[in-house]
Amino acid sequence: MSSGYGRFALARAGQAAVVVLLAYVLTFLVISVLPGDAITNSLRDPQSGLSEADIQRIVSYYGLDQPVLVQLALSLGRFLTGELGFSLQSNLAVSQIVGDALPSTLTLASTALFIAVAFAVAIAYGAHYAPPRWAGILRCIPSFFLSVPNFVIGLVLIELFAFRLHSFTTTDPNSATATLFAAVTLAIPVSAPLAEVLIAGLDHESRQEYALVARSRGLTGAQLFARHLVKPSALPSVAMIALIVGELLGGSVITETIFGRDGIGTVVQKAVTGEDQPVLQAVVSLSAVVFVAVNLAADLLTPLLDPRVNVREAANA
Amino acid sequence: MSADLNFARLRSDGAASIRTRAAIPPTVLMSLLVVLVVVLWSLFPSVFTGYSPVNGDTGSKLDSPSLQHWFGTDYLGRDQYARVVYGTASSVTSALVAVAIGLVAGSAIGLASGFRGGWLDATLGRFVDVLLAIPGFLLAVVIVSSLGFQTINAAIATGVSAVAVFARLMRAEVIRVRRSTFVEASYLEGGNRLQALLTHVLPNAYRPVLVLAVLQFGTSILVIASLAFLGYGDPPPSSDWGLLVASGKTYVTAPWLVYAPALVIVATVLSINRISRWLRNPS
Repeated sequence: MSSGYGRFALARAGQAAVVVLLAYVLTFLVISVLPGDAITNSLRDPQSGLSEADIQRIVSYYGLDQPVLVQLALSLGRFLTGELGFSLQSNLAVSQIVGDALPSTLTLASTALFIAVAFAVAIAYGAHYAPPRWAGILRCIPSFFLSVPNFVIGLVLIELFAFRLHSFTTTDPNSATATLFAAVTLAIPVSAPLAEVLIAGLDHESRQEYALVARSRGLTGAQLFARHLVKPSALPSVAMIALIVGELLGGSVITETIFGRDGIGTVVQKAVTGEDQPVLQAVVSLSAVVFVAVNLAADLLTPLLDPRVNVREAANA
Repeated sequence: MSADLNFARLRSDGAASIRTRAAIPPTVLMSLLVVLVVVLWSLFPSVFTGYSPVNGDTGSKLDSPSLQHWFGTDYLGRDQYARVVYGTASSVTSALVAVAIGLVAGSAIGLASGFRGGWLDATLGRFVDVLLAIPGFLLAVVIVSSLGFQTINAAIATGVSAVAVFARLMRAEVIRVRRSTFVEASYLEGGNRLQALLTHVLPNAYRPVLVLAVLQFGTSILVIASLAFLGYGDPPPSSDWGLLVASGKTYVTAPWLVYAPALVIVATVLSINRISRWLRNPS
């Protein structure tokens, strides 16, 4: 196993690195579809408060007076050495902007992930063990969760809990309660596909012979669930973890805007409205790095968690 | 909710199948009715409301829902129901455009890479990996910011961010079908590759992809509404559903301005999801 696994891990890591580089290039090309003058126009906007010398420095830093491919090479080279450039709006280092916003988003996203997993397990458990009528309703919940836009969930929660019940105030978005409600908003659409996969897994696993054997040994439903069924049923969701991280990052744009939080999502929103391309480029490519890294970790973990997964087959997939 | 997760959802259901002769369950019938109403709203808005979506009655600002104004009125005295009905065409058409882009481009990539294999599969596979690596909603935001804030651009962005999902499903289906005996038999009978592709592989591979397209239609409505909510679609006085929710949220004393278009979005997407589930697994 060890040499086969090593080769598999190395191949996967190599693929991941290539994907990250190409994602950077793709993002750069998409962003550069904007006519080059738009950047200098937004720089020359008197409201930006930049002097002619500032503008000259920015233009030469990004090579804005040179062809797109030269700009790409310049930008990609800096990205590889960890240099993310400067914001066109504020002249701050992009790494500083991202660094300042990251803790807020990490708190929000990790709370949301926790809530989403809790919701998904609760829904799946209920759908499997509740009396048939309730189970039927629970099975419809994921589909319902997926039909409600993120922003509607957020607005309803704010209307109910901030304006009517005064559980939190929108003027203090970083309080624990406000964070909790923002996290629920972000968690609901993420919990739905997780619950669907868990339900499908539970349906499958509980039909297996080992479940019958465990039942005949006198295990109750809950014991069977906790000791035997949870692990194999949750395995397919490991492969989904990267997608879920992507959903959390994308959903944070809306959630943070609604709840007035200062996180990565807000940074994206401001960069889009202000045509701040270096910031946008950095956030999108860093998201790709996170996605690819999580995906890689999930791929590398799966054969270790489930010995039935054949490494050689997985490497060719 | 972006396109990326739809793939995992479809796969978790196992092989998709469409049964043709089965009684239509009541919930599906209701869903079809909702979709029909939405389609009619977008085709003939003036049949469904006598009010103008642009000109308001300044005498009745922020009225709560009543028999005259089903969804109440906004800050200019415009009938919110009329705004929703007239906003349907743009909201629904843009979702259709998005699905068409994802379906056509994604299927073409998936078909080519699954059928041809080899270096083409490897190249296209990396391209799809790259599209998947950027979180779907972020990709849509970047594309729309680059193309300009218009609903049609939001539709294109949503479509492009769904290409990868269609490509992966189509590739998986084509590979499944390509290895079957009847495709090999067609080669033995002297058929060429293109013939086999068109007469045998495609007809047997496209159904799960079409089911995904239906599911993706609902998802696209959500994504485009989210982009409109952020102000990346057509500006007012157009009345895309997402934009209506966004402009309604400033009037705390008039919550119906948010709830009415929100309910329409939820009812539409819920119905589309129900139909897609029924197509996958009739029961």
